[in-house]
Amino acid sequence: MNGGIALRLQDVSKHFGRPAVEHLNLAVRRGELYALLGPNGAGKTTTLRMVAGLLAPDAGRIEVLGIDLASQPAAAKQTIAYLPDDPMLYDKLKPMEYLEFVAGLWGVPAREAAPRATELLDWLDLTRHSHELTEGFSRGMKQKLALAGALIHAPQLLILDEPLTGLDAAAARQVKDLLLNHVESGGTVILTTHILEVAERMAQRIGIIQHGRLIAEGSLDELRARTDGGTLEDVFLQLTSQA
Amino acid sequence: MKGKPGSSLWLLQHELRMFWFNSGGRGGAHGKKRSWMLPLLGLGWLGLHVLAFRMLHTMPAVPAEMLPLVGLGAMALLVVVGTFMFSSGLKSSVDSLFERGDVDLLLSSPLPSRSIFTVRLGAITLGVASVYLALAAPVVNIGIFIGHADWLLGYAVILAWATICCSLAMLLTLLLVRVLGARRTRVVAQVLSAIAGALIFLLAQAHNLLHADSPGGADALAAQLARPGGAVWSAGKAATGSWLPLFCVAAAALGLFLFTVHFTHGFFVRGLQQAAGSVRARSKAATGTRAQFGRPLFDVVVRKEWRLIARDPHLLSQVLLQLLYLAPLGFVVLRNESQMAPGVAAGLTMLAASLTASLTWIIVAAEDAPDLLQASPSGAGVIRLAKLAAATMPALALMALPVLWAVAHHWTTGVLMCFTVVAATCCTALTGMWQGRPASRGAFKSRGKSNWIGSILELVGSFGWSCTAFVLIGAAGPGQSAYDARWAGISLAVALLALLLAWGTRRRTA
Repeated sequence: MNGGIALRLQDVSKHFGRPAVEHLNLAVRRGELYALLGPNGAGKTTTLRMVAGLLAPDAGRIEVLGIDLASQPAAAKQTIAYLPDDPMLYDKLKPMEYLEFVAGLWGVPAREAAPRATELLDWLDLTRHSHELTEGFSRGMKQKLALAGALIHAPQLLILDEPLTGLDAAAARQVKDLLLNHVESGGTVILTTHILEVAERMAQRIGIIQHGRLIAEGSLDELRARTDGGTLEDVFLQLTSQA
Repeated sequence: MKGKPGSSLWLLQHELRMFWFNSGGRGGAHGKKRSWMLPLLGLGWLGLHVLAFRMLHTMPAVPAEMLPLVGLGAMALLVVVGTFMFSSGLKSSVDSLFERGDVDLLLSSPLPSRSIFTVRLGAITLGVASVYLALAAPVVNIGIFIGHADWLLGYAVILAWATICCSLAMLLTLLLVRVLGARRTRVVAQVLSAIAGALIFLLAQAHNLLHADSPGGADALAAQLARPGGAVWSAGKAATGSWLPLFCVAAAALGLFLFTVHFTHGFFVRGLQQAAGSVRARSKAATGTRAQFGRPLFDVVVRKEWRLIARDPHLLSQVLLQLLYLAPLGFVVLRNESQMAPGVAAGLTMLAASLTASLTWIIVAAEDAPDLLQASPSGAGVIRLAKLAAATMPALALMALPVLWAVAHHWTTGVLMCFTVVAATCCTALTGMWQGRPASRGAFKSRGKSNWIGSILELVGSFGWSCTAFVLIGAAGPGQSAYDARWAGISLAVALLALLLAWGTRRRTA
């Protein structure tokens, strides 16, 4: 019915006294890494929070893998994982306990969750810290653990808000590799970032949002064709200054 | 007068400004201005002056032979106030080491560390003293107005007394850091602070409950305290206008202050550095992981909540300190004094409600990752139920022992006590859930300020259940026909009304 569409936003609006997102239409294909870019306050985080089911849109419809988020929130949420820029962690839990809790929230059976948790901690180089409370973790370690939590239930759609903020080069590389692996194995990723080089290198398609509206969308080459070309930074600055 | 930037006076003004902000003078938890608060406080303070005038202007002069008795009274008052000052001093010392986020900024500035420490200790002293100076002011000011100029010395005594208490509190805090390390000091000092604050209450209760019919040790201790001589006695004499004792107390205060500053400022700096590194050290302390995947959601949530509380000794100590007040009641239960059963039942009911209120706030309102729960496909109802269970079970488990004891000794009393304890616990948890506003766990101590309607409803509800317990058990107990059961109906109605209001004004999520 929805073909290859993993996420569809139809005429979605959200107001907080003033409009945060206005009549936003967006479609992210399955197996795609989609970067949502925009200046500060453009409505990126509000959009992602609505997709994650944390905010109800004032108008419009959101479909995740063909499931209507408003009418079947549990079924839709079962397929997605949301990672905000400030990791949703518990300082007094150890990594494995955190993963146990998240797996419990998503109802992952023990036979699947236990090996996946071990694998994720190993992959993200957190195994040697598995007996420590997360309160002593660096920003990068916290972000990686939150990412492990997001992946514990093998989501089909990963929603990431500024996933690379504050990470050192090694941690950023691990996260990027993990996202690319997720996409290669058929998963879908939608992320926001202010690091335009990341979007330039990783994203198959890029959407640029300003004042709550999608002002441009396409591959980097398509966006270049709409402007004077150059790097994504040049394209981004041209498009946002025109709008 | 404004100090030159970078001077000690300037820093002291900054510290006092911070004290004012932290004590809520600037506004509420969400930065809302409370411009009405200051005039209201001022008006109340002036009202106290009027009250003091009405009491004092007709008071006959104290006969010379009564002056020692007045001194004794003043001394007793200073002992009581001293425990509170010491408690506040400990709390402020811990705050200055562990809570304030500006220490790195100050120490990285060109200001000498000795000045920083001197000013900080001075600010703690002034902050603690200010409360008592303000409370004593109506009496002292009116005393001066009606011709007792020597009452002015009262201010000096309070200031000197606060200096002694706060210097001792700072010395104890730094000693604890040296002996126990920064991590444990925070918890131990917190407990000591609460014990010091509650010392007079606990001693009085223990005396009343255990020695009501046999005046012995406690009276002997009181007589010993009243013995002439020593700093406490001198302070009492100084407060009644004697110059020499005042000089002695002031000299002792100044000496102790200078001693504290001179010998411990270096350690204060090291203590701060230890405190800054204690978070990372804490991460090494945890050992062993017993994660078990595949548990039902209810179990997972309860386990997570209890783990988080059990692993936060600072928070845990604050919650468990409430049980300190349980000790005198526990003695009575064990002595099986049936005539005190209504009071004990009321106390247990109140304590169960109080403990549940604290835990509900931590578990429901201070959820660290609400977005994670909301983003999950789990049923919100199951999560809420699990959180309520996690909040109520500790209080119920704790009260089970005294309740079972009561059931074994007097069946009706035990059953009624069980009813009021369970009802108070459940109602408080529901009130906390309906009225809870999102907050961080660090704001535990100031939770009442951010949601005063919820706090009042919690208090009224637990008070209602407590009164119900008192009247019901009083009426049902052996030979207690003096209790009117109609009052049980009224207090029960109050408790249920508070619950109804909590539900009616509950927070609706977007």
